[in-house]
This record gives sequence, structure tokens and C-alpha cells, in this order.
Amino acid sequence: MFDTKERKAKKRQKVELEAAEEYDDFEEESPQDVKSAVPESATRQVDDSAKEDEFGAKDYRTTLDLKNDHNSRPLFVAPNGHIFLESFSPVYKHAHDFLIAISEPVCRPQFVHEYKLTAYSLYAAVSVGLETNDIIEYLRRLCKTSLPNGIEEFIKLCTLSYGKVKLVLKHNKYYVESMHPEVIQQLLKDPVIQECRFRLSAEESEGGIVEGQVSNKSALQLNKPANGNPDQPGTSADGTTDGAEQPTVPSDIFDYYDKMDREDEDETEDLKTVSFEVKAEHIETMQKRCIELEFPLLAEYDFKNDTINPDINIDLKPSTVLRPYQEKSLRKMFGNGRARSGVIVLPCGAGKTLVGVTAACTVRKRCLVLATSGVSVEQWRSQFKMWSTADDSIICRFTSDAKDKPIGCSICISTYSMLAHSMKRSWEAERVMEWMQSQEWGIMLLDEVQTIPAKMFRRVLTIVNAHTKLGLTATLVREDDKIADLNFLIGPKLYEANWMELQNKGYIARVQCAEVWCPMNPEFYREYLNTKSMKKLLLAVNNPNKFRNCQFLIKYHERRNDKIIVFSDNVFALKSYAIKLNKPYLYGPTSQGERMQVLQNFVHNPKVNTIFVSKVADTSFDLPEANVLIQISAHGGSRRQEAQRMGRILRAKKGAIAEEYNAFFYTLVSQDTLEVHYSLKRQRFLVNQGYSYKVITKLAGMETVN
Amino acid sequence: MATTRKLDCKNLHGYLKTLPWHVLDKLYSHPATCLAVFRQLPDLSKHYVMRMLFIEQHVSQSVVNLWVNSKYQDEQKQAVTALTDLRVWHEETMTGGLQGWKMNQTFRKNMKIALLGGGNPWTSGGEQLAPDKHSKDIPFLDKYALERWECVLHFMVGSTEGTEGVSRDIIDVLLHAGLMKSDSLEPLPSITPEGFQFLLMETGSQVWYFVLQYLETVEQRGMDLIECLSFLFQLSFSTLGKDYSTEGMTENQLKFLQHLREFGLVYQRKRKSNRYYPTLLAINLASGLSGLSSDSQRSGYLVVETNYRVYAYTDSPLQVALLALFCEMLYRFPTMSIGNLTRTSIRDALARGITAEQMVNFLRSHVHPMMLKNNPVIPPAITDQIRLWELERNRFKFTDGVLYSQFLSQTDFELLRDYAKDLGVCVWDSPEKRVMVVTRFGHDDVKKFWKRNKPSNS
Amino acid sequence: MVNVTKGILVECDPAMKQFLLHLDDTEAFGRKFVIQDLGENCLFISSDILETLQDKIDDIMDRLSFPLAEK
Repeated sequence: MFDTKERKAKKRQKVELEAAEEYDDFEEESPQDVKSAVPESATRQVDDSAKEDEFGAKDYRTTLDLKNDHNSRPLFVAPNGHIFLESFSPVYKHAHDFLIAISEPVCRPQFVHEYKLTAYSLYAAVSVGLETNDIIEYLRRLCKTSLPNGIEEFIKLCTLSYGKVKLVLKHNKYYVESMHPEVIQQLLKDPVIQECRFRLSAEESEGGIVEGQVSNKSALQLNKPANGNPDQPGTSADGTTDGAEQPTVPSDIFDYYDKMDREDEDETEDLKTVSFEVKAEHIETMQKRCIELEFPLLAEYDFKNDTINPDINIDLKPSTVLRPYQEKSLRKMFGNGRARSGVIVLPCGAGKTLVGVTAACTVRKRCLVLATSGVSVEQWRSQFKMWSTADDSIICRFTSDAKDKPIGCSICISTYSMLAHSMKRSWEAERVMEWMQSQEWGIMLLDEVQTIPAKMFRRVLTIVNAHTKLGLTATLVREDDKIADLNFLIGPKLYEANWMELQNKGYIARVQCAEVWCPMNPEFYREYLNTKSMKKLLLAVNNPNKFRNCQFLIKYHERRNDKIIVFSDNVFALKSYAIKLNKPYLYGPTSQGERMQVLQNFVHNPKVNTIFVSKVADTSFDLPEANVLIQISAHGGSRRQEAQRMGRILRAKKGAIAEEYNAFFYTLVSQDTLEVHYSLKRQRFLVNQGYSYKVITKLAGMETVN
Repeated sequence: MATTRKLDCKNLHGYLKTLPWHVLDKLYSHPATCLAVFRQLPDLSKHYVMRMLFIEQHVSQSVVNLWVNSKYQDEQKQAVTALTDLRVWHEETMTGGLQGWKMNQTFRKNMKIALLGGGNPWTSGGEQLAPDKHSKDIPFLDKYALERWECVLHFMVGSTEGTEGVSRDIIDVLLHAGLMKSDSLEPLPSITPEGFQFLLMETGSQVWYFVLQYLETVEQRGMDLIECLSFLFQLSFSTLGKDYSTEGMTENQLKFLQHLREFGLVYQRKRKSNRYYPTLLAINLASGLSGLSSDSQRSGYLVVETNYRVYAYTDSPLQVALLALFCEMLYRFPTMSIGNLTRTSIRDALARGITAEQMVNFLRSHVHPMMLKNNPVIPPAITDQIRLWELERNRFKFTDGVLYSQFLSQTDFELLRDYAKDLGVCVWDSPEKRVMVVTRFGHDDVKKFWKRNKPSNS
Repeated sequence: MVNVTKGILVECDPAMKQFLLHLDDTEAFGRKFVIQDLGENCLFISSDILETLQDKIDDIMDRLSFPLAEK
């Protein structure tokens, strides 16, 4: 008797948990075919079998020797690959640039930043030109202690074969190129690769290896800001103006940094390479085989020597000036006179679009932009016109609404779903698709690349042939086997900005994040406890106490002349809140025309200060005026959605420097419901970027209002 | 639910007030005590003492009241109470029936000596000592004192690393103070919730609290409280880095000295050595809680980040062990350790009787100097969260009790309820429902009352 | 006539009271334990359930929380 009841109780608990998981991170879906696309070694992890101290901590005190001048060195390197960087160290700048190149940031709050060495991060490091010995040697110098043995081995293991071989399009022929002749020799011994190799004649067995050179001169040409412009902080590439070196930097660190930094610059001599040509029709086989042999091919595009694809007539306007971090990220892309494929990670509102536009203006070949929504397509178009010399004669939109005629255009802007969907298209759209598939695109810009499900993404990549792929995102979520896809489908992460640094320099808004506690109304909570799964969340969102808090916050901020966006993933709540409060709202079924109208009203009409939006506005809705965000319902525990939503209010605010915060991000959380769990889960990404959430248990002044 | 008593750490006045008056009178027979007590008085009390020191007779209370502007009644009252409590003066009826204040003669005499000189030297003459071959400088003494003190704390934490153990005398004090408790099954005593609170206090407060507890045990040890106290007050006027002779000290005081040596309040090279050096712990002692604490001598070592990380820049196993009381430790590097403040680690600490406030104070009082430019010093999200985790445990209040219901009439209900309320045992009542809850403890009385007074017809 | 019952007075917020009532209704511990509903913030419950109940409360609080710190 008792037994069955207990079992029932357990079962009920299980159902609750399952309901919770069902609604979890959608970014954590795991594609089935990852294995084939990723080299075996990419799943390697650092081996760490440290003993534990009496508190259960990993104890490295006896295995690592402290250097005498440890105070002037900025890093602790743990044998498990975690690296701790002191942001207050005089050598911070030197170490930071280096760590961003070789490791993944884990968290970057105010004082001590944590990074992690992974197989992928090291792959990214070699692909932007760092070499095994340099990585080990510089890490050794930056470290306060002796470098753990396992780390050195791990770096060697991961960098041995990565980044050594490149697939280069030169004079419209594909070459496999390397600076390491022995690697080329090794590849050529493989029968599959022999098949793919292009030879002038059959009897030519040995030779045929082309020797060449690769320049280290950056292909990036930018406008320099006019002198004496005090509003533009930092004109050098790394965002700092202090050229003077601090005396406390140990000379071995300074010397090495100097050496590594120069490799980015224009002066170094050309490097010798060897290469062989590949049959164009066998490119895919070739790529796949190289992955199997653990020599993944890096895609590089020698666009300056591409004579078959016509140049397009586009340049940055003379008035367009890049911010230091935008410039830096592009230097990583164009460092060796060619265009590397990869991903650039910048916070929302930090100007990802300008980075994309600049990349397009540098390559100057036919360009395809893929965005997440129709609204976003419009915004890309206007940004191209704002920053570059491109106009409507060369820009075309390919969406279901736009009446443009994309065939033959130089810059085509579309959405992922437009390209990937497999339903029947109109005759006209079908022609456009055919044209797209037949083109060799110079560069493909992939906006908000992290939001795209892997399946759709693969489809897009099989449809479109592009020499360079540049992914842009704000949140590269670092579940290692998820990042795999992007790394091998697009290319390594080229650059990742530090949110707090951009905030402190005024490039993005200073946001106060707050979690507002809404006690559950007893009747709702009774219902909540008695219902299962999804309906629970509906009750939590429609909690009358949450509605009152929302109403109060809107009134409060409207009185301050703020512009407010209210987010709700739950469509029922979205409508009922908006209708009760008499505010405009937009969601999935809202037509493109109506969307644009609501947004225009929000931006220009002083009487419309609040809009309600569903998750369609998560990404790419650029609303520079908005400075208050209220989230009443969200998609489970998605960290990425949280960061993207915050991005809606991150664009730097004008003339509000004096205030501690100039933007506000509230999440209304019904207490004692699943929302609490999700809300905490969602916060992790931003907390790791250095944001902190203020918990508000009672809104001041709430009682007096009602 | 078990409740933990909050450690009551008295200041010097608080302690002296608890002593019987004859002990106080004897204490005042040493100028050092008088001066030490005087230093700690409220300003207005000091003023009174100075005005009355040379008036060898009663001063009328109304005259004293006139010394202060009537706007400052409250300060006036405080000053009067302080002096009365410490028996610096007492009330006496003057000829003519007026109430007057009369200063304690012993205090007056020795206070004069303290201010004007004369009498015997306070500390048995350092002048006679020949220069010390093994002379110790201030940094050595500071280091020594902290090491000794940390030895005691280390023993309490029960940490296995870097501790030498402590003497039976110290264990007795810890047991007496309730900071640790003995379990017959365990060879060593274990720490109590009060002990955890103690560990997170500042060093200055810890030493003071410990010494107070020690003083409560001196008489059981066959020692004289007054001799010990006078010696402590003398120590508080000694000079850091100077050596003093043990000559002329009583047997009791020599024994006391050995204990102080063990806690790190004095340094003595050998047990038999005829000279000793007071350390900062002793010198700061009589300034009680208000004075400098020895923590300010050592710079903070904790970096607390907004993402719940704590970085401890220290080599000291004790400091790490203290942090580990409420922080989940992840990594130990040479010179630096890393931990996370987690809900579990905080809840474990709360369950052991450490309060959120104590954890926050501990973090705040040990922050790395570079965090001081932040305002507030510790990220508010962190301090808020620690407090919220504490509140989360208090969402329910459970009271053992007895439910009285089904009263036949409102009068019956009110009769019994009023009785229970008068006794202070009614914890909840509702006249509409004619229901009330009485504590388990109060039930017997209420039941008896009901039997005596219940309507006869029921 | 008056009725006397020994037990435990529980004072809590309205939502948590609903939670206890829910546990009682569904016989989550295999039986009923609420003796009387005393109003918005109060319940009177049987003494012997206290320990089980506190464990259950800890459990639900644990499940609502999520570790924010990175390991």
C-alpha cells in the first residue's frame, strides 16, 4: 500500500523533472552526424589526476614550482587546462591577447579571468598563425609557476597536425598548401588524396609540387580616424593609447610579446610554402579525407589573385571609422594577405554589422549575407548603405516580401530559412535559388550564426559555395561538442571581445540586470501544484503578482521617458498583458509590414514608449532607443537567449555617461516555480561575462501605487 | 529547530561591570588599570573625572548636571551611568539631604599617580635588564604572535595541515567558553556553532573574547583574578619591541605569563628566561574592541568576484581552512587558492550555526586591498545572495503547541485566550474560528485553569 | 466543552501554505498530516511529520536552485 504511493510520488517527481528538461536549452540539441565532421583528436581533453586537499580541492602546491618573480607574472596554469589571469597585472594586456588566441574564455569578471585550453581553442590558435613552440614558450613565460608537464604535451598533441594545411583558391584553382613540406609529403602518400590530386599528365609521379610564398602583409585597409578626435578612445589596434612599456614587465615576456605581435604587422618577410593542386570536383572528398587523417584543411581565400570572379565596386565611406576591437577582429581575419574563414564574437550592440560590412568591402567580391529574420535583412541593407558606398543598385534582398530581383546582384541579403526551407517555392524564387547555387560567392556573412540549428546550417552550406565564410555572433556557447560544428563548418573562432572592457570604455551600454521576485498568488500556486508540465509555466507567467510588477515597472520607466521592450515567449501572456495594458505587440503571425510599422512607431512616436514582443525579436531587431527590457517569460534555461535579449538594449547610449547604469534589464520571476530554476540557469553566460543580477524582492513604491 | 546563541562579545566596560565591587576596588589600586579604564570612558565621563579628581569631597548631583547643556540630556545620562557602573564614583546623601557624587578613593589616588607620576614603576623595571643577546624586532614579534594565535584557531578548525596542537590549558578554555565540546568517543574535542562564529571574528575580538573566557577560569586554577587583570593592564601600557624583566613578579603572575606566552600575547625565548616581550595582541588588548585590531597589520587576501568566485591570495593553511568553512574550494596553487560560494556551501555553513552576516563580515574584513576601491567593497549581488540563502531557510516557522478548538461560546473562548495571553503562552488565536494555539510549555497551566473555571454545566 | 490536540503550528507565506496543503491532499507522505487550516498564513499539523516535511522542503528548494558558479 505504502509502496505504491511512494512509487507514485516518485513518478510524479519524475514527470516534473522531465517537464523541466523538455523545456531546456534548445541550443543543446545534439546533431547525430557530428562525428564525421570532426577529427578524432578534437575531443581530446587534458589529463589531470591531481591529488585533492582536505577540502576536496585540486591541490597543485607540491607539483608546481613558484618562480621568484611570480608577482610580475600574470598567470596560474592548472594541469587540467584551466588558466587564471590577473586583470590587475601590469602584463595583463600581453597575456590577454595571447590567451584569447589560444584558449576559450570561461569567465571574465573584474579581477581574475578564467580561460580554458581545449583542442578547439588550440586549433583556432594555429589557424591564425601561432606555432606550437611559440605557444608553449610564451605560456611558460607568463606563468607564475613552472608549466605543468601535461599542458606542454597537450599543446603539442593538439597543434601537431592542426592548421598545418590550408585549402587555398589561387587563380581559380584549388591548392592544398602548407609551410611544412613533410606534411604535404605525408598527405600525398594517402591513396584517396592521390585520387583528388590534379596532375598535368599521368606519368608525372614525383614532382608537381609547387613552391611559393605567402605574404604576412595584412589585406586590411582602413580609414584612420582624424587626429585630435577626443571622442574616439584608443586609436591603436588593441584599444590602448599607452605606448610606454611598464618597467615591471619581465623582459622575457615583453620580448616575446613583441615578437608575436609583430607577426600580425606588416613588416615580416614572406614565408615559403609548398602546395599541390586539387581537382575542383574532388574538393569535398579531399576535405573529408584530411579530417580523417587529422589534418583538417583551413579555408583561405587569396581574393587579390582571383581573376575569374569579378570585383564589385564597394568601399567603406571615408567617414567610416572602426572601433579598435572591430579592427582587431578583422586583422585576425585578413592577417596574411588572404581572407580566413572563421567566427568573430562580439557582444550585441557592439557593431557586428560594421565588421561584416568592412569584411565585404575588403574582399570586394560577390557577397551573400544571411540573417535570421526579415527585419534583420532590412537592417543589414540600411547598414550597408550607411557605412559603405554600396547603394540599391547593387544590394538586393531575397525574402518572401521584398520585390527585389536578386539575380546578378553584387550583394544579396537573405534569411537562413529562405535558403534552407524545402517547401515549394514560386517559379521566380526557384530561379533565384538556381542562380545562387551556380555562383562562386567571394564572401558569405553569417549573422547570429549560433542561433541556427545545425541541420539548417548544413543545408545552407551545401547550397551556397563561398570562398570565405565569416560567422558573427554574440554568444558562442561553449559546450565543447556543440562548438565542433561551427569550428569545422565555418572555421575557428578568430576573435572574442570582452564585454566588461567594452562597457567600461563606453562602447556598449552599462546595464543593470535585475531579477524581480513575484510571489505566486495562492490560488494560482494551488493550480500550479496540481497541473503537469507545460501548463505549469502558463500559470507562472500569468501570476497576477507578476502582472502587477510588470505594470509598475512600465509606469515607472515611462515616467522617466525611457523606451521599454517587454519580452514574452508565451504568446498567450504576451497578448493578454499587452491588451490589458493597451500597448502594441508583435509576434510570429504579425506581418512584415506591420512589424516594421510597430517598430517605426516605437522609434519615432513619443507616445509609443512600450512594446510587447515575442521571441521573434530576440535577435537582430536593432532598436537603439530602447533602454529598458522587461522579460516576463523566456525559453527555458537558454543562456544564449538571455544574452541576445540583453543585446536589444546594449547599444551605447548617448549623453548618459554620468549615470552608473544607463540601461535596465528586468526578469520577472514567479517564486517557487520552475521559472526560478530557469532564470538562474539563463544567467550563467552573462554572469561569466562579469554582469551581476540584483535580486529585487520588493519593488520600492509598489504599495503606494495600488 | 536548533538555535545557536549569538556570541556575546563584551567590551572592556561590559566585562568590568560584571565584576563584584570589591574586585573593582582592588583593581583600581594599580594606576595602569585606572588609566586603562579612563581611556575607555565616554568623553563626557572623562570630563567629569577630570573636574572632580582634585575635589576631595562630594559634589552635588544638581551641580554636576549644570556642567552640561540641557540639550545633551542623553549623553549626560550615559556618562553618569558609565561612571556608576564602573564604581568610579557612587551616590551618597550629602549633609543637608542633597544627593551627591563621591569619587572612589582608590581610583582617585591611583589615577592621580597615573597622570602626575610617582608611585612604583608599572612594569617591573626594564631598565635593570642588560641588553638582550637574542633581541627581537617588531616584525618578528608580530609574526610570532600571529603564529601562536593561529595555532589555537587551527586546532579549532580541526584542519589537519600545518598545526602543532595546543596545550591542555587552551583546550580547557575552549571547552569552558563553549567554543568546542568534548565527546567521550572522540579523542579530541569538536567545534561548536559558537566556535564557528568565533573563527570568523576579527583577531582582536577573538583574543579579547578568549582572554575573558580565560579569566573566568583563573580562579579554578588557583590563581588570583586581580593579579592577572592588573598584569594585563600593565601589559597594555608597555612598548612593542621592548623587553621587560620577570623580576618581582608573583608566582601567580609567572604562571599567567606562561599562558599568555602560549596564546602569543608575550614572547619569551625559554620558559625560564627572565625577560619577555609583549606582542601587539597584548598591547591592543585593553583597548578592547574599539581599538586597532591586529588584522589591520596584515593586508587582506580575498578577491570576491560577481560570479561567486573567491580567490584567496595566501599561503596560510588556516586562512584557507577558514574560507573553506563556507566556500567550496576548487584549486590550491602555491600562494593562491580558488573557491566558489555555492548555495550548498553556504547552507552547510548556516546549518553549522554560522550566520550570513558573519560570512559577509569575514569576506569584507579580509578583502584584498585592490578591492577597496569598489563601493560597496564586496559585490552587492553576492552579499544579497548569501543573505537570501539564509532567509530561504526561514520561510517556515514551526512551533510545538496545543490546539484548543470547539469552544461552546465566545465567552469561554475569550476567557481562556485572555488567560493564555496573560501568561504569554498563546502563540496564535482566531476569535472568529474560536481556535487558539498554546505552547507545549504553557499547556499544563492553561489546562488547569480551564478545569477550575470551566462552566459547570459542560 | 473544548477540544485539545497536540501538534505543530506552522507559520509561512501563502504560497508555501498551498504547497503544504498540496502535499497533504496528494498524500505525498502516504497519509494526511494537516490537522487544521488556520487561515492565510497558518496551519496546524501533526508533530511526527516534521522531519519528513523539512526534508521535502529542502528537496524542493534544491530543485528550484541552479548553481551559478562555474566549476
